[in-house]
Amino acid sequence: MSGDGATDGLTRRTQNSSRELLAKAFFFGCAALSVATTLSIIGLLVYEAAKFFTISAPLLGIDGPTATLTEFFTGSEWGLQGPNLGVMPLVAVTLMVTIGSGLIAIPLGVATALYLSEYASERARSYLKPALEVLAGVPSIIYGIFAVAYITPVLDTLFGVDGLFNVASACIVVGIMILPMVASVSEDAMQAVPDDLRQAGYGMGATKYDVSTGIVVPAAASGIFSSFILALSRAIGETMAVTLAGGSLARSFDPTSLASYLSLFDPDSYLEPGMTMTAAMIQLLTGDVTGGGLAYRSLFAVGLVLFVITLGMNVLSDVIARRYQEDYQ
Amino acid sequence: MSGSYDGFGRVSRRIGKLFRGVLFASTLAGILTLAVLLVYVANDAFQPLTADPGWHLVFLFTLVVPTLATGWLSYRRSYGTLATGLLGIVMPGIAALYAGGLAALFIDVIPTLVWLSFVIALVIPGAVVVALRRTDRSMPFLAELGAVLGVTVGSLLVVPSLVQGLPTVPADWMVLVLTLGLPEAFLLGRWIEGRWGRRDGWIAGAAILVGSAVGGVVGMMTGFGAIPGVALTLFALVPTGLYAAIVVRERPDRRIGLLLPAVIVVGMVAGELLVGALGFAGPESWVDWSFLTSTTQSGDPRSVGIYSGIVGTILLMFVVAAIAVPAGVGAAVYLEEYAPNTRFTRIIDVNISNLAGVPSVVYGLLGLGLFVRYGGQPTGTLLVGGATLALLVFPIVIISAREAIRAVPDSARQASYGMGATRWQTVKNVVLPRAFPGILTGTILALSRAIGETAPLLVIGAAQVFGVPDSWTSTIGAMPLQLYVWASTYASPAFYTTVLAAGIVVLLTAMLSMNSIAIYVRNHYEQR
Repeated sequence: MSGDGATDGLTRRTQNSSRELLAKAFFFGCAALSVATTLSIIGLLVYEAAKFFTISAPLLGIDGPTATLTEFFTGSEWGLQGPNLGVMPLVAVTLMVTIGSGLIAIPLGVATALYLSEYASERARSYLKPALEVLAGVPSIIYGIFAVAYITPVLDTLFGVDGLFNVASACIVVGIMILPMVASVSEDAMQAVPDDLRQAGYGMGATKYDVSTGIVVPAAASGIFSSFILALSRAIGETMAVTLAGGSLARSFDPTSLASYLSLFDPDSYLEPGMTMTAAMIQLLTGDVTGGGLAYRSLFAVGLVLFVITLGMNVLSDVIARRYQEDYQ
Repeated sequence: MSGSYDGFGRVSRRIGKLFRGVLFASTLAGILTLAVLLVYVANDAFQPLTADPGWHLVFLFTLVVPTLATGWLSYRRSYGTLATGLLGIVMPGIAALYAGGLAALFIDVIPTLVWLSFVIALVIPGAVVVALRRTDRSMPFLAELGAVLGVTVGSLLVVPSLVQGLPTVPADWMVLVLTLGLPEAFLLGRWIEGRWGRRDGWIAGAAILVGSAVGGVVGMMTGFGAIPGVALTLFALVPTGLYAAIVVRERPDRRIGLLLPAVIVVGMVAGELLVGALGFAGPESWVDWSFLTSTTQSGDPRSVGIYSGIVGTILLMFVVAAIAVPAGVGAAVYLEEYAPNTRFTRIIDVNISNLAGVPSVVYGLLGLGLFVRYGGQPTGTLLVGGATLALLVFPIVIISAREAIRAVPDSARQASYGMGATRWQTVKNVVLPRAFPGILTGTILALSRAIGETAPLLVIGAAQVFGVPDSWTSTIGAMPLQLYVWASTYASPAFYTTVLAAGIVVLLTAMLSMNSIAIYVRNHYEQR
């Protein structure tokens, strides 16, 4: 931002000519477009989702089928044929993918960040960092095909899975996909740890291992943690890979019983197909979506839940990175 | 006493070494997994094991051994020589890829006459602008702007229908030579004139013009096609020739590097001839000419092709670039050059980083609601798809353009202001030209991300079965969408390890070519 006084003084006499104003208005319009995008995302999702719920639909003049809030948030089945409109079965599978991909990406990502930041030579870094970027650059649909065509057969020989689709293969590919995000954000945090702290550690007789685990990681903890949240929010929003790998068969999930929550951590349940929120949105699109029927509106209701979760996680990661950052000045 | 101090000063290095090894293994885990998967894909797509052993042997001796030997010789001479040779292979390859894409557009989407009419309609206001600049400098800015806008609109309304109604229609190759060959000959001629002198500039310009016409005629006569003939000449042969000329003239020490591409071309031709003569069968690759050019949609893996997806992706990229780049760069300029340090500026700032984290499927919902339901557009058209993807890459373009603009040193701006330049003049003459390579790199990377996006296109209702689009409002496909359709409609192992592998190879090649251009631009301008 160039708000310095000298520039303002030098350009004051010309700043109101029509040419200058037109240029400035164009640039301002472009910047305002980004705010308009956000506002229209929020407005559209809220407005269309409001038409979906029984409580708000009459206010907007909708008199078709609607869903109650209790149905949406406590229903244990998803499927518009029923119509069963519980979103929790979808959220549960999304959560499974998040847990599973986190189990892969978080340890590997932190280890990668630590290696790149503390151990790797400048030359090794210059090869490894672009290679890691490639992992994030491969399109998600390709990861989906990898999962079905190459990873599921391996899982089948190891554990025995039925059919082409399962949650575990989705977890693996999403984990590979978000690994670079954990690694690069964590590495930035580790690089920001001042060298004085490391030197102090070595001065006390600590080994490189001691310094890495005892000084660098704790000092960069807020950045590392915010990288987890950022990467997991990416996993939640991931669409094509989980749609292809997980299949499009909604599970049933009873949000009111404890046992169903425990089943999220049961390894066997990962070997079965499951449909996430994003996959459900893709599946809904095969039906009538432009007519504005229940399917169309439920799409936006699920989209709103997804948007709120990912936005909340992004903001949270930002807050953690800012608030708990150690100040070394 | 001394016994208890035996361990002092001695630290076990075992844990440290083990730890380092674990970290290194974790770093490689993801990369190696992807590498293994890609090897599987390449194996499924190209089926190298189905070829005769004789085929492999022939190409080993005609292509692989000479290439490695030449490469090693170049490397012995200097690393730069090898780099010259490698660029001499990669550059023509990528150029031919894009020339092919361009040719596909003119063959299937834009009739050359329509193209000609719009070019003429836009040349007229361009001429007016030049005339105004040259004659009257005292004209007020708004009057000038009004005149130019008026002429542009009038010309766009009148000229295209006039030209399209002409009684005699010029041949395809003539139109392309006129609209693409002439500007390229002029621009490259001027550039060479500045580099090597006036005479060479004229010769080069004339050679380009004549060459493109010859390419068109030869293409027409050999059955290769007039349009691909001109496109390949202008956008693959000419850059390749120019590259060779620059190396030969300006880097005599690296001249030997050009041997590498020559050896490869000769080796490929010789290998092909030998294999044909000896009767060795090549691999039954799934990535073949019919896969690239077929538009068939069916359950038979051997008959399907990705052509409509390729054309759709190219068209989408044009729309995305046309919308997202001006808007994204404009927003970046505002934030870096104009924005006062106010609350609103900070809101925009936070907002952009949050937009970059919104899942792509939500952008699809935005496009569906905004353009289809309330904008009244039909589902899945080129415009809707392009606009939706443009919204998706908009924050990415802003972020990378801001970085490029921030890298322009403040002293350059201050020098401009000190000379009495206004803000707009400074932005136009100092900031944007210096930030251009960075902006270009960021833009290409953003577009290469847009190439792979599937979910937003599915959400806006892109058709499950699509052909080659023929207008701005026809339904559009794209390469990743084509992959999804194959993967979901024909979800059988017979499809997954055959056609889908070939599709992955094509999509990744397109992305890789874009990324390598971006990396080249960045490295090229970083050296200055």
